[in-house]
Amino acid sequence: MGLLWRSFVLQLQVVRSNPDYFLGLAVAPLTTVVFVSFVRHAGREDLLAFALLAPALMALWRTSVMASGEIVNEDRGQATMEPTIATPSPYAAVVLGRVLAVTAVGLAGFPVVWLVGRAVLDVDLAVEHPLVFAATLGAGAFAMSGTAVAMAAVFALARSSRIFQQTLTYPFYLLAGVLVPVSYLPFWIRPVSRIVFLSWTADLLRASLSAAPVDRPGLRLAVVVALGLAGLVIGTVVLNRVLDRVRHLGTMTYA
Amino acid sequence: MGRAGAAVEAIRLRREFRAGKGFRKREPPRTALDGVDLAIDDGELLGLLGPNGAGKTTLVKILATVLLPTSGTARILGRDVVAETAAVRPLLGIVLGGERGLYSRLTARQNLRYWAALYKVPTPVGRMRADALLERVGLAERADEAVERFSQGMKQRLHLARGMIGDPRVLFLDEPTTGMDPVAAREFRSLVAELRGEGRTILLTTHDMAEAEALCDRVALIDHGRLLAVETPRTLSGWVSDFERIDVEGVADAALAGRLAAVPGVADVMATGDGCLRIGVSSREATPAVLQLVVEAGVQCIRTSRPSLEEVYVHVFGDRGLRV
Repeated sequence: MGLLWRSFVLQLQVVRSNPDYFLGLAVAPLTTVVFVSFVRHAGREDLLAFALLAPALMALWRTSVMASGEIVNEDRGQATMEPTIATPSPYAAVVLGRVLAVTAVGLAGFPVVWLVGRAVLDVDLAVEHPLVFAATLGAGAFAMSGTAVAMAAVFALARSSRIFQQTLTYPFYLLAGVLVPVSYLPFWIRPVSRIVFLSWTADLLRASLSAAPVDRPGLRLAVVVALGLAGLVIGTVVLNRVLDRVRHLGTMTYA
Repeated sequence: MGRAGAAVEAIRLRREFRAGKGFRKREPPRTALDGVDLAIDDGELLGLLGPNGAGKTTLVKILATVLLPTSGTARILGRDVVAETAAVRPLLGIVLGGERGLYSRLTARQNLRYWAALYKVPTPVGRMRADALLERVGLAERADEAVERFSQGMKQRLHLARGMIGDPRVLFLDEPTTGMDPVAAREFRSLVAELRGEGRTILLTTHDMAEAEALCDRVALIDHGRLLAVETPRTLSGWVSDFERIDVEGVADAALAGRLAAVPGVADVMATGDGCLRIGVSSREATPAVLQLVVEAGVQCIRTSRPSLEEVYVHVFGDRGLRV
């Protein structure tokens, strides 16, 4: 726990001195204006919850994906990865602690989007089920961090993580039904959406904004946590394998 | 093959790096370490001396568990660095030279506290140890300043503090004084000498012979991935001081080179230009005889000098036939 916390603190210190980590948050207000304008132009006020939640979820995803890539990239570029690997601490735990910090920062996207919606666009959505909403944010943040560890494994293997970072954004927004509901996607792709934790998170968050009772919230939350846990376990195993590989290849640090 | 009492052991350690990628995959691999056998006694400070690309850093990285050997065995305090990695890591501190290896936007104190957590040092102990180390390496007054504002010498001292944060029994220092000014390097060496005095086992890689002579109990000479010799600095120093280079100009006697080559203790005689000769002398006794011959031949321009480290490698090692 000490290691997770110290890694968390380290990343907050890194984030504070590096504005790049706030890029995902910085574009959220603009994306909010665009999405809300779309649904209003189409006369679909019923989709305002989608338009408002999507930028916040996208900010969360983008911030975390970027962080998982940057953590590995910076550790290799700054030659901090080798001394880190030489310590008794598992690198996956270090990455998890650090990604959790960035994910916590990414959660700021929700109040930011809410404020923009309310102050600029005159959108006032009430959270009808605040407990479900809060629990979903917590579970989603954990799942996001677990998934980011899995992504870090890929980034550790790649010479440049930036290309992967860019690739792993919009396809996932679509796949997870962040803006366009999964039910609108082609039938054959829907099962794939269901293994992306973000689709469950987005559904639950939207449900918590609706006055109608939330259907099986406990089970759906458990699925979010389980998918995050699966990402964490797979990520840890793959990251360890990847580290063994770079130890074998001798490519842990950029020259 | 292991040596009793050895804190660090390398047995027939070999490391190859793939030379090409894709279509160039069939290129032969580059050998960075070629069957290295080495034992460092508990509490010993051993210097690993060799030119750039000799294999020093590769050896350190394998011993520090961040690089896997192609073949061979390495043990730290009896534990295998490949099979028992988790048991080896708490025993080690690693200091890789250069500007990098620290979180540059964080302060020195933040860096050390983080690394303390990585070494699983309890938080209160880590805080105290970080403060004590900052004091010890002379950075206490700059402890809350971002590392990116530090000079290279300060960064190297912080590297050393980071290497010590886990209170390791074995410390690897990879060219820790590279880029330091002479005063900073001297201060750094006195810190390393203190650590050796505490009974820690230290492997210090360097290409600075003076540093090796000043600090080390023994010095291992490595080149092209092969360990050429492991000797005390005194012995090594003897090799260097016994070897002298004499440059002469204005030689009119064509037969002089032959007469010089016949003098016992003359390693080689080489024409370096029109009327110029360079005489390599491998024993101190040969120098007067050489000087007498060149003076008798009417040569008036004579200069003696110590050979470079590289020349010592070529001449001394060649003469002594030192091989792995």
